[in-house]
Amino acid sequence: MASRRRMLLKVIILGDSGVGKTSLMNQYVNRKFSNQYKATIGADFLTKEVQFEDRIFTLQIWDTAGQERFQSLGVAFYRGADCCVLVYDVNVTKSFDNLNNWREEFLIQASPADPENFPFVVLGNKIDVDGGNSRVVSDKKAKAWCSSKGNIPYFETSAKEGFNVEAAFQCIAKNALKHDSEEELYLPDTVDVVGGQQQRSTGCEC
Amino acid sequence: MEETTSYPSIEPSNFDLIVVGTGLPESIIASAASAAGKTVLHLDPNPFYGTHYASLPLNDLVSFLESQSGPQSQPPETSSDHASISLVTRPLYSALEINTYSSEPIDNSRKFNLDLAGPRFFFCSDSIIDLILKTGINQYMEFKSVDASYVSDAEGKLENVPDSRSAIFKHRSLSLSEKNQLMKFFKLVQGHFGNESEEDKIPEQDLESPFVEFLTKMGLSQKLKSIILYAIALANYDQDNLEVCKDIINTKSGINHLALYHSSIGRFPNANGAMIYPIYGQGELPQAFCRRAAVKGCIYVLRMPVVAVLMDKDDGTYKGVKLVSGQELFSPQLIVAPSFTFPSTLGPSPAQVANSCDAKEKVARAICIAKKSLKPEVANCLVFIPPRSLYPEQITSIRVLQLSGNVAVCPSGMFVTYLSAMCGNVEEGKKLINAAINALFSLPTPGNSEKSAADSLSEHIEEKPRLLWNALYIQELTTGSFDSISRTMMPDEHLDYNNLLDATEKLFREIYPNAEFFSVTTLSDENLDDGGSELDP
Repeated sequence: MASRRRMLLKVIILGDSGVGKTSLMNQYVNRKFSNQYKATIGADFLTKEVQFEDRIFTLQIWDTAGQERFQSLGVAFYRGADCCVLVYDVNVTKSFDNLNNWREEFLIQASPADPENFPFVVLGNKIDVDGGNSRVVSDKKAKAWCSSKGNIPYFETSAKEGFNVEAAFQCIAKNALKHDSEEELYLPDTVDVVGGQQQRSTGCEC
Repeated sequence: MEETTSYPSIEPSNFDLIVVGTGLPESIIASAASAAGKTVLHLDPNPFYGTHYASLPLNDLVSFLESQSGPQSQPPETSSDHASISLVTRPLYSALEINTYSSEPIDNSRKFNLDLAGPRFFFCSDSIIDLILKTGINQYMEFKSVDASYVSDAEGKLENVPDSRSAIFKHRSLSLSEKNQLMKFFKLVQGHFGNESEEDKIPEQDLESPFVEFLTKMGLSQKLKSIILYAIALANYDQDNLEVCKDIINTKSGINHLALYHSSIGRFPNANGAMIYPIYGQGELPQAFCRRAAVKGCIYVLRMPVVAVLMDKDDGTYKGVKLVSGQELFSPQLIVAPSFTFPSTLGPSPAQVANSCDAKEKVARAICIAKKSLKPEVANCLVFIPPRSLYPEQITSIRVLQLSGNVAVCPSGMFVTYLSAMCGNVEEGKKLINAAINALFSLPTPGNSEKSAADSLSEHIEEKPRLLWNALYIQELTTGSFDSISRTMMPDEHLDYNNLLDATEKLFREIYPNAEFFSVTTLSDENLDDGGSELDP
C-alpha cells in the first residue's frame, strides 16, 4: 500500500519578494493572474493533480507566505521538499544575484540526502514587461549560472501572459517525481489525523 | 553609532501587536491575533523558530542552552522622544552538563532535531490536537505513534502499562485478581462518563477526594495504583505522601485523565495507541502556528534582537520597541518571551513585568543518545519511573520518552531519550535524573576507547543501551503575565500541552477581550485560492 508521502510531491518556490512566485503558482493551478501586486498574504499552498503514466500524484506547491521578505523561512518550510523552484525577475539584477543565496539556504536548511543531485528548476519571470525592453539579465547569463550549478533546467516565463508556465511546471513535476522515487522510504505510514475527524476537501487519497 | 547596514528596515512602523520570541505561546497568540484581523509583527533574535520550545540540531541546542544559562548585559539604550528601558535576558537554564562518550552524535549534529522542552507528546484527544485540526496546521505537520508505555523499576526493568482491555489481557506480571480489579475499575470510570443512569456516577464526595484514596477504596493493589497514578494520570508528586506532595490529584482529575487516555486510543484509525509525536520534533508546532500567522498577514523577522522598550516620557506607559538596527516600532501591545526582563534600576518598569511571578519548583531535563532501544523491537516509547522507585527520597515521578529515527529526530539506528522530573533545587534535580539515567543506560567507563573487544563483549552481556552523549539541565518554571507588556510562559513540567494552551488562550483573551480565539469564520476562507485545484474526474 502506498503511503501518503509517496502520493504527495512537495514543491517549494523560492526567490526575492516581488519576483512573481505567487502569480506563477496561481497561473499554473488556477489559470488566473492579478495585476494588483501585494506582498503575499493569504497564500499557503496550492495543490494540483498530475498524471504520469498510469499513476496520479498530488503536486503540493508551497508559497513562502511572505516569510521570505526578511529571510525568515523556518526549517519546516524547506524540509521534505521534492523539488525547489528558484524564481527571479529578468528585469531586476539583484533578484538574479540572490538565486545563489536562495539555493545555498535551501541546501543548508533542507539538508537533502544527495545535495549534488537535488532537483532545482530556475524560472526567469516577467519577460513580458515593457515588451522585453527593461530586461537586464540575459538568457545567456542565466543559462550559464544554471549549467554551473549542475545543469539546472531553465525556463523563461510570464505569469501574466501564462507563457511557458505549463511547460515549466511539467518539468518541475517530473523532476519532483524522479527525486521522490529515488529517495528511500524514510518516513512510512504517518498517523492520519484528518481521517479520524473530518474529510479533507483536497489532496487526500483516503 | 548603530550598525544599520546588516539589518533590514521594517515597514510599516505601527502594528496592533508586536511579539518578541517564537515559542509556542507567542506563536499561538501571533496566529490567533492575525486570524482576528490584527496587524502583527513577530520578531525573534535567534536564527530559528521556537525559542524555548524549539527542536534543534545537536550543536545548536548546546549553543542555545549555553547562551541562555547566564545573564546578558546590554548597554543602556537612548531614544530622543521616549524613555527607553533596555531589554535584557534572564537565565532560565542552569547547571548545564554535557557528557560526550562518543563523537558520533556530534559528527552528525545536523541530523538531530532535539527538543529543548522534552519529553513531550500528544494524546490523540488532547485539546492541542483539536486546535491543530481547527486551524488547519495539520497540513504542515505529520505524526507517528508512540508505540508503547512502560513502568520501570530501579534496575531499569520495564513492564507494560496495562492501559486498555487487550493490554490488561496480555499483561504478563499482573495476577488474575489484579487484572479483574483493573478491568472493573476501567468499567466503573466508563460508566461514570457514559450516558447511563445516575447510579453509575461516582459520588460527588469521592470526586473531590484524593485519587489515591479512591483507588484504595476501589480495592486496587499497590502496583495498580502506582501504574494508574503515574503512567496514566501522569501525577508529578508522590501521591502516597500527602505531606510532601505539592500537587495532590483528586479523583475528578484522575478519572478525567483516564477518560482522555481511553478516548485517545482509536481516535485516529492508524495510530497504535493513545499517544502521537510530530515528525521532526516538537519544534514543528510553533513553526506551524507561525506559518499560519504569516498566511494571515503576520510579518516575520528572525535574527532581529529588540534592545529596548520605549515608554512615554510623562506617564511611563508602553509605546514601542527599539530594534538592534536602531529602528523604532510602535504598538499598543507587546508580548515577550519568558526570558526577557527589564532591570528595575533603569526607570519605570511595569509592575506586572517584574521578576517575582515565578514558581520555586524547577524541572530537571536530560537528553540521552544511544544506539540501542530501551526495549528491543520498540522504536518510540514512554517510560515512567514512579516516586520511591529509585531511592526512598525520590518524591517526584521521572518521565522518559524514547524516540527513534522513524520520527526524524536522529540518524536512523540511533535513539534519543528525553527525561524530566520536578525538583525543588538543582542538586535534587541532578540526583533524580542521574539515578534514572543509571537505571536505564550503561555508562562507558572513562578512558576506555569506544570499541575495544572487551567492550563489545560486555555490550553483549549488558542489555542496557550504552550512552553515547547526554545533556542535563535545570529549567526554571515561569508563569505568564498580562499588561500592556505581557509575558508568556516557559514550557511547563507536564508531558502534554493542556495547561500551556489554557494559559495561552487566557492571555489572548485578556489582550483581546472582544476577539475570538481562532474563530471558525476567519478560518473558513483559508482555502480560498484552492478552489480550482482539483481536476474533475
